[in-house]
Amino acid sequence: MPSPSRSVSSLILRLAVLVAVTTVSLACGRQAAATEGSPQTTAVQPSDNRGTPPASNAELAAAIDRLLEEGWAAADVQAADAISDEVFLRRVFLDLAGRIPSTAEREDFLSDSREDRRLLLIDRLLASDDYAKRMADLFDVLLMGRGSGRTMRERHEHGWRQWLQTQFHDNRPWNQMAEAMLLARPATAADNAATWFLYERNNDHQQIAEAVAPAFFGFRIECAQCHDSMTAAEVEQAHYWGLVAFFNRGKNEMTDQGPRIVESAVGGFSEFADIEGTSSPNLLKFLDVDVVDEARPAADEEQQESDELYQAAFRDGEPRQPVFSRRERFVEDVLRDHPRLAQAMANRLWAVLMGRGLVHPYDEMDSAHTIEHPEILQLLTDDFRQHGYDIRRTLRAIASSQAYQRSSRKPAGVDDPATFAWYLERPLTAEQFTSSLRVALYGAGEMPRDLTSAVRQAMPDVLPDESVTTIAEPLFLSNGPDLQALLQEVSEGDHPLAAMAALPSTHEAATALFLATLCRMPTAEEVEAVATFLSQSPQSAEISSNDAPLVAKQRLVHAAWAIVTSAEFRFNH
Amino acid sequence: MGSFAGLFSAQAIADEVKKQGKKCILLWLCGAPSQFETWDPKPGTETAGPFAAIPTAMPGVHVSELMPQCASILDKLAIIRSMKTEPSEHFQGIDVLTRGDAPRPPFTRPILGSVVAQQLGQLDSPVPQFVLLDPCPEGNEFKAFKGGNWAGWLGAEYGPVRAGGEYSIPNILRPESIDEADHADREALRRFLSRKFENDQSSAAAAGYNAAFARVKGLMSCAPLFDIERLPADDRYRYGPGAFAQHALLARHLIENGSTFVMVANGMPWDNHVFQHEMHQMLVPELDNVIYQLVNDLSERGMLDDTLVIAMGEFGRTPWLNDARGRDHYAKAWSLAMAGGGIRGGVVHGATDERGFDVTTDPVDNRELFATIFTTLGIDPAAEYDLGDLPTFHRVEGDAKPISTLLNAG
Repeated sequence: MPSPSRSVSSLILRLAVLVAVTTVSLACGRQAAATEGSPQTTAVQPSDNRGTPPASNAELAAAIDRLLEEGWAAADVQAADAISDEVFLRRVFLDLAGRIPSTAEREDFLSDSREDRRLLLIDRLLASDDYAKRMADLFDVLLMGRGSGRTMRERHEHGWRQWLQTQFHDNRPWNQMAEAMLLARPATAADNAATWFLYERNNDHQQIAEAVAPAFFGFRIECAQCHDSMTAAEVEQAHYWGLVAFFNRGKNEMTDQGPRIVESAVGGFSEFADIEGTSSPNLLKFLDVDVVDEARPAADEEQQESDELYQAAFRDGEPRQPVFSRRERFVEDVLRDHPRLAQAMANRLWAVLMGRGLVHPYDEMDSAHTIEHPEILQLLTDDFRQHGYDIRRTLRAIASSQAYQRSSRKPAGVDDPATFAWYLERPLTAEQFTSSLRVALYGAGEMPRDLTSAVRQAMPDVLPDESVTTIAEPLFLSNGPDLQALLQEVSEGDHPLAAMAALPSTHEAATALFLATLCRMPTAEEVEAVATFLSQSPQSAEISSNDAPLVAKQRLVHAAWAIVTSAEFRFNH
Repeated sequence: MGSFAGLFSAQAIADEVKKQGKKCILLWLCGAPSQFETWDPKPGTETAGPFAAIPTAMPGVHVSELMPQCASILDKLAIIRSMKTEPSEHFQGIDVLTRGDAPRPPFTRPILGSVVAQQLGQLDSPVPQFVLLDPCPEGNEFKAFKGGNWAGWLGAEYGPVRAGGEYSIPNILRPESIDEADHADREALRRFLSRKFENDQSSAAAAGYNAAFARVKGLMSCAPLFDIERLPADDRYRYGPGAFAQHALLARHLIENGSTFVMVANGMPWDNHVFQHEMHQMLVPELDNVIYQLVNDLSERGMLDDTLVIAMGEFGRTPWLNDARGRDHYAKAWSLAMAGGGIRGGVVHGATDERGFDVTTDPVDNRELFATIFTTLGIDPAAEYDLGDLPTFHRVEGDAKPISTLLNAG
């Protein structure tokens, strides 16, 4: 059934909700607006740099801890205990390298007696190729969303995926990445694929606006298509159409150099109507930035194309560009140094490591959403700006804080995750899950069977607002052909799982399986349970009587399935 | 598998199911249909639109001419013409009209189907008690809403089993590469390890995860129930070719076979900001037929008294048209329909002014609606949720009372 169900909306009601700041309490966002009983609304107000943030990593981490602890003391919250090296190891590998550690990496770390071994590990992981892949996996979804199989292939073919990975590998400053994506005029071949951010949106300028606002400014703007935001006064309908206008002269063109967004020097003027029917021109306006001036033709006047309106391309072989470029104005006048650019990224990086934004959800940083621990957001934002939008630096500070290194066991009597009084357990992303399977059961290198796209469908979430398992996921894990086939394959040949089958006893095989998958020593009870399982006669496997292995391979495959589908493997905790 | 189908077609089981208590089918008209083109036409006014009003089985009551079949059985339906709610954005509207109340973060109120499944469902039944049939993975806010936490503080085991798309549930059959005994055996080991982790860590995420796994076996045994190809061709023809209609039929089938709550959705087709009349001209006749077939089928099977059918969206549409000849969101005065499950037929509750701008008599808000739904299903609307040391929640807040004119006495 065709449906023009784009989120057009009109608001007729005025509600008698007793909230001081707003008289109308409806938002288009996922999270409801403040109502009676919810916490006091605090406007998200990025400030210019106030005070001098601590310079060293240790000071930054300590400041995070001090600010959190002050909050806990005030609210009488008892935070969770600190974690052991073993727990830290798996956690930080998953968060920074996107996979569990191998047994060799585990042994290395646990035998390290240096005082600062945790920080050293953080640094090693941040410098690794795994880190670049993990961040590219994550930001691919955060910036572009999950796509169909074809979309994902195109992102690879056009170099987008590799571009992301290279940026994180080189720790390119976030503001430079943002400018490369939004200006989309690659000054060097290295930035060729940055154009894909706009190009994939396929000339849908509203879609571009709706992606730019959360990706770089940390808030969603969809509702402002039809009216000023009902909950966040600073998000105006004029900003929605202004943001659209900055990009609406662009047109996709596949050139010899690669995908480009050719910009026209004319057109792109329209009026938008609010819900009372009043029309306004779509000026080049976004947030608190002054309107970008531009000659506007009269309503009945048609602009003429003319070569004089264009200048030579910035580089040979590139499309010509307009003398007055809206996109360029957006990048230089709006995006560059906008305080929200740093604030939104600081909040998002916090969410990546802490499981939830200081403003939650992390992409709804408008005045309808409370900032928890505003001083921490301020601190991280200021530090991020002052240190050249250095992503690694921010992640390093958060990961080395005590706050990050607390138990995931929620302390009794504390219910609000916004206290960050315990490590918020979170499901592995599809990429973390498959990479961890590889480490545990296959070893180094690419697996012959790529589970990623099947797992992505079953586990699409990245930084979910809350962890909810639907029945589809256990059905996929229990009955989907992919995982079963993979386990079967890695039980043959020169892989860890195959090696376990050659161990002299079921007890040793059970222990090895725990170490490889859950990165910890099993308890006696667990060894017994798995060993018993392994020693039971296989029901369906054909074992040749000549060289029957000590541990029946088929039972080992089933035991491996049971462990990698257990909650302990499925979550980071 | 074969024996299962036989088992569930047995009249004895069906009779047993009937005795087990009340059931509910929610036809979730997401996007929000227009009251003017359905239950509350305003002929002869500037808000009327192009469609006429027609008489019904109830003398003096008219509905849109797009609903002739419902008009003929209006004595079995109850209409509320005076819905007056607050949110007029989809996400918030969906939240309030499926959960009964606005959120109180960080607590998530369970959705209607979860409450009904928990209160009336057979938890030891392999048949899923709360099923969401939704073939459409898209639909803006509803898509976002579907990704959220439906069961809320009741816990994931009360969340819906979601089916749709190809009218089936993906991965519901055991792969041939593993036999039944091994499949069960490895699951037992998984359960042992995973529950141990859940307990050791007091992990809420693991609890939800394990609860979802606990439903796998029962659900697999129900695979034939979800196979729409097994339903009689005549039934499929009567309901009509659309996905919404076919799912409504499947909802009936599931209710007959032991489900407690089935929610039938279809993306957000009703959000007609553009060409409202043309769109509704396609959508309303299908809805008309679906309600008619469903109510008649339940009636013929002697199940209507125990099965509540609700047809509603998250709000209504504006009396006026926008520049695109669409009707926009309107929560101030809108309509919905119910039938069966103890709801009195032939009742029209409340009224709007002659142009449909506002409610003139008996306004009904979401709380009163939910109090009515719960009461007729035999669920206490005033019950407190026992959430330990958390703030007090009631199944319906504000001590809202059910609408007595809609409830069958006794």
